[in-house]
Order: sequence, then structure tokens, then C-alpha cells
Amino acid sequence: MMLRFKLNGEWIECEAEHNETLLDLLREKLGVKSVKRGCNVGECGACTVLLDGRPVNSCLLLAPLVEGRSVETLEGLRDKPIMRELIEAFVEDGAIQCGFCTPGMLISAYSLLSRNPKPSEGEVRRAIAGNLCRCTGYVNIVKAILDAAERLRGED
Amino acid sequence: MRPLPRFRVHRPESLEKALELLATLEKAKPIAGGTDLIPLMREVEVDVKHLIDLSHIGELNFIREEEGYIRIGATTTLSDLVASELIASKAPALWEAAASMGSPQIRNRGTIGGNLCNASPAADLGPPLLALEAEAEIRSLDERRWIPIGEVFAGPKVNSLAEDELLTEVRFKTPPQGAGSAFEKIGRRRAVTLALVNAAAYIEVEDETCRVARLALGAVADRPLRMGEAEERLMGKELSEELIEEVSALCGRLVRPIDDVRASAWYRREMSRVLSRRALLKAWRRCAT
Repeated sequence: MMLRFKLNGEWIECEAEHNETLLDLLREKLGVKSVKRGCNVGECGACTVLLDGRPVNSCLLLAPLVEGRSVETLEGLRDKPIMRELIEAFVEDGAIQCGFCTPGMLISAYSLLSRNPKPSEGEVRRAIAGNLCRCTGYVNIVKAILDAAERLRGED
Repeated sequence: MRPLPRFRVHRPESLEKALELLATLEKAKPIAGGTDLIPLMREVEVDVKHLIDLSHIGELNFIREEEGYIRIGATTTLSDLVASELIASKAPALWEAAASMGSPQIRNRGTIGGNLCNASPAADLGPPLLALEAEAEIRSLDERRWIPIGEVFAGPKVNSLAEDELLTEVRFKTPPQGAGSAFEKIGRRRAVTLALVNAAAYIEVEDETCRVARLALGAVADRPLRMGEAEERLMGKELSEELIEEVSALCGRLVRPIDDVRASAWYRREMSRVLSRRALLKAWRRCAT
């Protein structure tokens, strides 16, 4: 089927299978590789993208369901001021670890800071509750998100 | 993990059209958020040829108060429920249940209609909607009926709807000033977890006397259940912590849970008592405010 949707701000048309997920479409056909396949059942959050501005698991989203909607991934968000600050803080705070969960973490963190410029630690932890890290834990990730928020508020 | 079956996706833009598709297509299923259906299709063989995407049907997505009822369209997401001032202030049990579910990503897709129609015995929206005495509107091309929310559940992961029917709306009477409700849940962790037991209570107090008490538990039987016998013991009485403790102990004996991979029947019984007490106490405390 022909599918038309907005990918990272630009309308695109592409061929998609009825039973294909957005995750497969992005990775295998559109070359969007920041979106990772982890559990494939909506538990790990490595495949998180923004759908109409809200984080969703692309492994649970059938490609035909994004017709007419907006999908954003790290490729399209990396130069936004909030994302730049997050990426810098992740690097400085050692929050990347193995890197596999990082794109999904960044999308969830971006969504949080877009709505809430001054989150508490609890709010940060709840915002990334759907993103699993299997390396060494969440301490540096939470710290990086809080640091990025602080810098964005100009309280460096 | 199996590949997804070879189905076709249809995207009707009106309820009428969706009902028509359900009535005419063979082996058709509705899909809303897909957060239960997609993992299910990866796990077991699901015999489906057509999926009817409900997300383009605007008339199924609403939360409003009208003529004494709070009305919620079937494709209202869990995030929509959490963002609703009306739900937070008038039905905190439902708000707490929605907020406890899945992850932000899941709540942005999962819907009230999907949670009910998936008919998991652990469905978190089951107990609060039972405690609020909610009803579901079920529609097909030529019929429209309201059923008590409990009747949506026909057994573990089986709903009572016919193949050409759709759950279109959930409604319950707006709780009066001074009513209180609360939800409690225990899982293996706090986020992205299935309830081992969940519970919701609804209480109305007038002149120090409990006029209405409703208590529902989930994941302790093949479907979410009202604890009628426990409710009887609260109504018409002056509430106290001792009475609530006693009634909660009764709940631990009333439930018929099973042993499974997530928890033992013994543990679920114990948690039925604990969560009944917590939910009743919290609902009672909220009556005054």
C-alpha cells in the first residue's frame, strides 16, 4: 500500500506492507537507524519515536496507522536546542554507556523537557519508565537529563 | 516470536463505516492502540484477515460531562484520561488506574476501549469502572445497547462482544460532591507491569454514615469482580479503621485466585486483603474533600 506521512518535518510517500510495523519501515526501508529493535513487544522503549509529538513504541505501531501523521526520530531532532543540550549532557555525564538505549532515552527525555522545563528527579524517572537500560543503570541518565534541563533554563 | 499474520488494514473515517466493515468482512478485528493486540499476534496464532483501524474516527475520542454522566469515547487514550481534570477530580480511582498503566509510550497509544475489550483478568481499568458502576455502549450496524461494565468480560482474555460489534463508549454517573474513590495496585515493579492484584473502592458518606460502598478486585478470578458481601457490611454503618480492616480480611477469603508464573494464589489472597484496606481507607479519606 502507498503510505503518506510526515517524517522529521518532511512529507514522504512510500510503499509499506499492511502487516509491517513503523519500526521495520523506518529501519529497513527508510534507513532511519537511530530507532532500535530491542524487545519488539513494547517493553524496552529502544524503538521510541514521536508520533504527533508524543513518544510511542514504533514496534507496536503498524505502519499503515501513521498515514497523515507526523513521525519524528533522533535524526530530525538532533539539532533542536533541547536535544542538543541533552546529547551534550549525556556525553559529559557518561550516560551513554553501551549506547543501545540512548536514542529512545533521548526521545523520552526530549518529550519531557519540551513540556516541563523544570522536572523533579521523580518526574524524570517516570518519563523514562518505558525505556530500559541493561548496562549499569539509570543514575547517570537521570543526572544528564536534570543537567540538560538546568542548562536550558540558564542556571549553569 | 512469530511474524505478524497477513492481514489488510482498513482506515474508516466514520463509526458507520467501521461497523459496516466489521459486519461484512470475514475474520475482521478492530485495532485501536494495538498495545495488546500486536504483542498477542507475535506470541500466539491469531486468525485475522482484516484489521479495522479506529484511530481516524473522531466521534470515538472524547471525555465530557453531560446530563449527570461522565462519558468517555472508546478510543480515548490512557494519556487522555491522565490529562483530564474532570477524571482527576471526579473519578480519582479511574485516574490512578490509568496513570499506573504501562509506560508513557504505552499510555499514549493504549485506549479505554482496548483495555476493556482485551478482557485481561488484570485489566487495570476493570476495578475502577466496576466501582463506579460504569456501563459500556455496544454497537453494531443495526443495534445499540448498554451493558454493565462487568459484562464486557466473558473470561480470561475473552470479551462478550459479537464479531460485528464494537465497544463505542463508557459512561458512569458523575459522583456527587463528597463521594470518594481510589485505586491500588501491586505488581512486580512500579512501571510497565501487569497487576498481581488491583483494587478500586468507591464510597459515599452522609451524616457520618456510609451510604454507598463499592469495592472491586482484579487479577483474583477469571475477570474483575465486585466484592458484594464486603460492600454489604459497610453500607449503613459508621466507618472506622477497624471495620475496614475486618471487611478487607473478608475480601481475602472471598477471592478465588490462581497460582501462575507471576504470583501464588496465597500471595494474591494476602494482597487482596491489603489492597482492599488501602483502597477503602483512601476512598473514605477522599469523601470529605
